[in-house]
Amino acid sequence: MSTDTTGAAQSPPTDPPAGSSAVSVGVAGVWRRVRGPLAFLVGASVLGVLVSLNAVPSPIGDLDPEGANPDGSRALVQILRDDFDVPVTIARDTDEAVAAAGADSVLVLVKSHRLTAGELDRLAGLPGDRLLVQPTTQAIKALAPGVEVTGRGDDRDVLSPECTLEAARTAGDARTGGELYSGASTACYPAEGGSALVRTDSGDATVTILGSGDPMRNRFLAYEGNAALMINLLAGDGVVWFLPDVPSTGGASDPVDLLHPGFLPGAGMLLAALLLLALWRGRRLGPLVAERLPVVVRASETTEGRARLYTARRARPNAAEALRSGALSSVRPRLGLGTETAPEAVVEAVSQRSPRDPEQIRALLYGGPSDPYTADDTALVRLADELDALDREVRE
Amino acid sequence: MAITGRAVFLAFVGVLLVFLAAPAGTWVLWAVLGALAALLLTDLALAANSRRVRLEAGGATSVRLGEDAAVFLIVANPDKRTLRATVRDAWAPSAVAGPRVHDLVVPAGERRRVETTLTPVRRGDQHRAHVTVRSYGPLGLAARQSTHAVPWSVRALPPFHSRRHLPGKLSKLRELDGQHRAMIRGQGSEFDSLREYVPGDDVRSIDWRATARRETVVVRTWRPERDRRLLVVLDTGRTSAGRVGDTPRLDHAMDAGLLLTALAGKAGDRVELLAYDRRVRAQVRSQGRGSTLQAIVRAMTPLEPELVESDSAGLVATILGRQSRTRQLVVLLTDLNAAAMEEGLLPRLSALTARHMVLVAAVGDPKVAEMAAQRGDAQSVYGAAAAQKTLAERRRITAELRRHGVEVVDAGPEEIAPALADAYISLKAQGRL
Repeated sequence: MSTDTTGAAQSPPTDPPAGSSAVSVGVAGVWRRVRGPLAFLVGASVLGVLVSLNAVPSPIGDLDPEGANPDGSRALVQILRDDFDVPVTIARDTDEAVAAAGADSVLVLVKSHRLTAGELDRLAGLPGDRLLVQPTTQAIKALAPGVEVTGRGDDRDVLSPECTLEAARTAGDARTGGELYSGASTACYPAEGGSALVRTDSGDATVTILGSGDPMRNRFLAYEGNAALMINLLAGDGVVWFLPDVPSTGGASDPVDLLHPGFLPGAGMLLAALLLLALWRGRRLGPLVAERLPVVVRASETTEGRARLYTARRARPNAAEALRSGALSSVRPRLGLGTETAPEAVVEAVSQRSPRDPEQIRALLYGGPSDPYTADDTALVRLADELDALDREVRE
Repeated sequence: MAITGRAVFLAFVGVLLVFLAAPAGTWVLWAVLGALAALLLTDLALAANSRRVRLEAGGATSVRLGEDAAVFLIVANPDKRTLRATVRDAWAPSAVAGPRVHDLVVPAGERRRVETTLTPVRRGDQHRAHVTVRSYGPLGLAARQSTHAVPWSVRALPPFHSRRHLPGKLSKLRELDGQHRAMIRGQGSEFDSLREYVPGDDVRSIDWRATARRETVVVRTWRPERDRRLLVVLDTGRTSAGRVGDTPRLDHAMDAGLLLTALAGKAGDRVELLAYDRRVRAQVRSQGRGSTLQAIVRAMTPLEPELVESDSAGLVATILGRQSRTRQLVVLLTDLNAAAMEEGLLPRLSALTARHMVLVAAVGDPKVAEMAAQRGDAQSVYGAAAAQKTLAERRRITAELRRHGVEVVDAGPEEIAPALADAYISLKAQGRL
């Protein structure tokens, strides 16, 4: 291989061979690799757009006449329209409500707290009947003067009509528990502190006040006499369902407006710049090179392991024997003795060179039945030191 | 592809621009982004194609560990555009390749040479992993990058530190030669030639028969035996992985084996190599005359210790099964590990010694000797006792081996190579080969 390539190096440059030496993926390779997932993503997006093209999002909200959510009132509106042929007009601001209201229609007002005093006054001037659902005291004052909020019952209460009002009497029990009123000519669904449904007559029109929105909510419509009560109250020549939109905040400024005009575009550009920064720092100059590393084992590891074992078990007899055999192997050759020499001969030979007592030498080199050097660790340290001293004496 | 710091700088300048010019409308952001993207893409399109770059390898193929080797790359640019590139010649970390990257400019149709210096820190084959070329556009904003396979390998040979002992041992060897034969005369010498007596020659070496045929006194000259066979056996099993100092036992064994090979080669003996653990890892046979040193160095280089127990039965069978039926000196470089020896080699040794002269060489660990000498507190003394136990086992194994008629060389990592050489010289002097 080596001679081939060096030989080629001396030849004049030619066109690159058919097979490039490149091993990394090129543009074509990247395209080949990503086109499958890309096609899938594009297909999924197109399908999603197509599916959602005809779907109109239904509004969701409490007592919303178009809301199909549990707290909405779409069911009631549908029943009125389809089964009783009552034209239901949905108004979402005062102008629409004023335009739609007529002398023979019922104006249903929910969420009256969203209305200003001026709007309430405009409503008060409208002809026709009204149904106020849990109105504010302000709304009561404007639309049904004389009626007062006198109590508050449990929202979950199911009350009995106990009155002469035809609509309530035929409907029977209904989940009308909520705010309680008094001071009206007709009062139904009494509870402690007042009645949940009251009606006053003001000239040619009636104003009905209902203390709870529950009878008209989708979730409760099917229970008790809820549906019957509402249909009785509303089935007529027309209904204008007025759900005021949440009033806009008007003069309060948007926090985005307080920012420098260059902030948002600048942040977008900064994002792009940071992305480039990440690309610049993150792109490696070629893949990492792996290397097979050799094992690292110290040759003395077994010896060190044995030393720790001796220490852990306080193996003094074994340690003393090892130290003595080491000392003997050093002393014997100096005295011209072989490995098989009897202890007596060794002790005698050593005692000729050492000033020590033969008994002491014997105890040092061979121990005995009661070995004084294995009593405790200090004695073992002393044994090592004395063996060293003996070795020096024999050497000199 | 890749982008440069310059492109990032430009993007940050763009941030400033967008921030200041934003009141003019949001189109400023899109304009700046578009301009940046256009610049990057243009630069990328104008960069020379990094995939089409032709690379050729060359340079050193072997290096002694610790020395430098130069390898080069010839970067040819067949494109019509100038190649401004950063080239990374990637080697494994232990090859210590430098410089890491090369910056170069290759005009269209031309070629340039870049050189990388390797200073391997590990013995064995070093392979070039790949070469990465990053080709920048004329604006230096974006680059095309691709990685190429340009195979080349450099063999890091064993360092042969013990080479410095060679002259001393050679002169020792020459003392055995004819002129100095006064010291030794016996089995170990073979008859070389006859020459005239000069005063000072040993009178015992006068060849009376030859003298009778001539008018002058003639003496015989001697020379040591030649053409003996040596088999260096490296044990690459688990015991060879243990590190003595900072080097595995195997590397110390190789060093000693190389000195022996060099010495024996000069002395006219033939050296062969066998590396074995559970199978033959490397083998060098002597083909006729000529030194096998180079072949042995090459064969040793890629050897690594294997973490398996060596199979002594297989080793003995392999040695006995080799074609050479003649007697040879088997130098077994292993460890005097009591357990491994007693269960492995010792029971099978007689089969080997019956046919061959066996010499076992082992590297002793100075750390153990150091431990044996430590005193002071209880822990040191327990350590000393453990070390003494290890040394006692070594002594026992040594004695056991000698009883089988095996020569044993047991020395520290620094002394093992000269000690083995001395053992060889003394065997040669005694004519025991």
